[in-house]
Amino acid sequence: MNIIGPDKLIFAVDDVTACKQFALDYGLTQLDDVNFVALDGTGIEIHSKDNASLPEALSTGSMLRKTLYGVADNATVDAIKAELSKDREVKTLDDGSIETMDDMGFVLGFQVTIRQALDLPAETINAPGAPPQRGVNETGVSKEFVAKPRSLSHVVYFVPDAVKAEAFFAERLGFVTTDRFKHMGPFMRPAGTNDHHTLFFLNTPPHMQGVEHFTFHMSGPTEVAQAGNALVEKGYQSFWGPGRHIFGSNWFWYFKSPFGCNVEYDADMDLHDDQWVAREAMPGADNSQVFLLHYEEKWAPGGPPPSKAS
Amino acid sequence: MSRVRLGNIVDIADGQARGFDPGCTGQDSLFVVRKGGMVYAYSDVCPHYGSTSLPWKRHQYLDAACKYIVCAAHGALFDIENGLCIQGACEGQSLAKIEVEVNACNDMWVDLRIIEEFKS
Ligand code: FES
Repeated sequence: MNIIGPDKLIFAVDDVTACKQFALDYGLTQLDDVNFVALDGTGIEIHSKDNASLPEALSTGSMLRKTLYGVADNATVDAIKAELSKDREVKTLDDGSIETMDDMGFVLGFQVTIRQALDLPAETINAPGAPPQRGVNETGVSKEFVAKPRSLSHVVYFVPDAVKAEAFFAERLGFVTTDRFKHMGPFMRPAGTNDHHTLFFLNTPPHMQGVEHFTFHMSGPTEVAQAGNALVEKGYQSFWGPGRHIFGSNWFWYFKSPFGCNVEYDADMDLHDDQWVAREAMPGADNSQVFLLHYEEKWAPGGPPPSKAS
Repeated sequence: MSRVRLGNIVDIADGQARGFDPGCTGQDSLFVVRKGGMVYAYSDVCPHYGSTSLPWKRHQYLDAACKYIVCAAHGALFDIENGLCIQGACEGQSLAKIEVEVNACNDMWVDLRIIEEFKS
């Protein structure tokens, strides 16, 4: 199945005004009343929790109503419909996308992807021994720079049965497990991308089912730090980070949000193909980050000049 | 001085919440919710993860209808009156309650020694 990754996450939230402001402050662009998008057109939809036109909410209170995947072409949409119709209802919506439910009860949609190809440089670095990535007199940072999320990266779900959830995505949709935290859950990528993961499951009691976090890719670690710093300066509260994960190697910074889940910035994810052999580790602080930094208010070195007497 | 004045009840609008940092740690360690004539105070730590504070922004402790206390990390809902988590990640667990003394002038006082206890 040539599934590329999540095109859109559709939320029905308690505090619409706060969520829309968060989306803007996070760096997404508002397309219309409900759509907030990254540079490649992927993004989130923000609706009110009483919007009756959306799929029903989970009984756990999770505000995510639907994960809409982007696929390569109509043939893939048809193939997914044929496969999933074997044991569940698959609706075709007016826009040509299909809608169904996974084995955990999350609503999924599939459409020909809206993801636009980006032609943008990544963050560049200069290092002794390597050809410079930035030329002479080209500066690396500026205070005025505004970080922009590039692409919807991944979503992480709390699920009551991560083995069952993994089996559905592997066997029915062709996702590949790239790494795994034992007794906790797998990192998975669909066949249409080399990104280490677009999906991660965390095993939890049933009453927790929902979203742990979602995130967008940034151009590099500096952009993660600058975007996160800007959120802190606007008063938002950090949950975890900044730091760098081991599985996936991505830089991260997570923030609490009014979406009822954390929202992350990430950058520089590992890429894998079918030659990759999934690793396994016990979950925990030692295995989830190679380092973790902590935000402090800005400071400047120095102090007053020495007094004449000294 | 272990007793700290948190201000007056009228500083918090009815149905609103406010975080406080009486230990001057740079991060609010407790919050007060005003509901009707009553105030309820809790340690600003979600029982789901040992060290996570609740709000996504300073003072944002309540849902839009001001009916429940919310942890913004994973959306757990807590009863305002008793701090019990009634939905979400730590269902059945409770926020740690902090005694607030309200005097005749409606000034709110907490005992810092009580807050210290919640740190261990
Ligand atoms: S840390 Fe509060 S709900 Fe998870």
